[in-house]
Amino acid sequence: MNDFLAMSGYGKYLWPAFGLGFGVVVLIYVSARSSLSSAMRDARRRLEINRPEQIR
Amino acid sequence: MATWTWFHRFGSPPWVYGFAARWAPWFGAGAALCMIIALYGGLVLAPPDYQQKDAFRIVYIHAPSATLSLAVYSTMAVAAAVGLIWRMKVAHAAAAACAPIGAWFTVATLGTGMLWGKPMWGAYWVWDPRLTSELVLLFLYLGYMGLRAGIEDPQKADKASAVLAIVGAVNVPIIKYSVNWWNSLHQPATNKILGDPDMDWSMVWPLLLMLLAFFLYFGWVLLIRLRAELLRRERNASWIREVLA
Repeated sequence: MNDFLAMSGYGKYLWPAFGLGFGVVVLIYVSARSSLSSAMRDARRRLEINRPEQIR
Repeated sequence: MATWTWFHRFGSPPWVYGFAARWAPWFGAGAALCMIIALYGGLVLAPPDYQQKDAFRIVYIHAPSATLSLAVYSTMAVAAAVGLIWRMKVAHAAAAACAPIGAWFTVATLGTGMLWGKPMWGAYWVWDPRLTSELVLLFLYLGYMGLRAGIEDPQKADKASAVLAIVGAVNVPIIKYSVNWWNSLHQPATNKILGDPDMDWSMVWPLLLMLLAFFLYFGWVLLIRLRAELLRRERNASWIREVLA
């Protein structure tokens, strides 16, 4: 296990690189979900405010 | 002629919204499955490189990020052009949805490249043509998003940002071929579309699988962002009430 983590001495570069790469992958997803949730919330609020006849 | 009529459906916001909602989870599941297998293949099964030893494994995160940073920009530029030429709202929404995804992939490319560059070149950063043109790509993404945010009228924002996206596309082949056109510290492409790869197959398959995973992942997050964009743009349309019911 220690050998695997050491990655022949390059672990200090390799693991941060994977951490950054997959950190970005998670961040893109979280930001996309949060953008969709916020757009849905706004749309629902708008629908509650506007009566049906005011909507095109 | 009839075979092309399906394409017209992509111009309909409610149809695209429904399509995105139905297909996004499948893209997500495919991406997760491919990523797990590719990670195991790249970190455990692939043998160390004879020169770079285990440091070469950074390729499994760096190369897919770099490919996606270019692929997302190309998608954004094509979508922007379609939006500009055919005045398709969905295309402008797709272009806008691409920008933050591509910007983050570019950040990952630059960051993982720096972490690979230090042990291989002895420096985190050099003003090499590949690195510099990739940095310009990040500025293009930021410029695109900044321009959109800075213009209040959505139609004007669509047009202005589309022009920037199309003009900026000239940087895509510069990034791709910079290692061939100029003297570069960055290694040339290891895997070619035509011809055998320079790497052994035991190293190549996890890379190809990770690339597929990243493309599926891009499809997933793009469809989620596209739904958000369409909800914001079409907020006064009657179909919004139906989909949110």
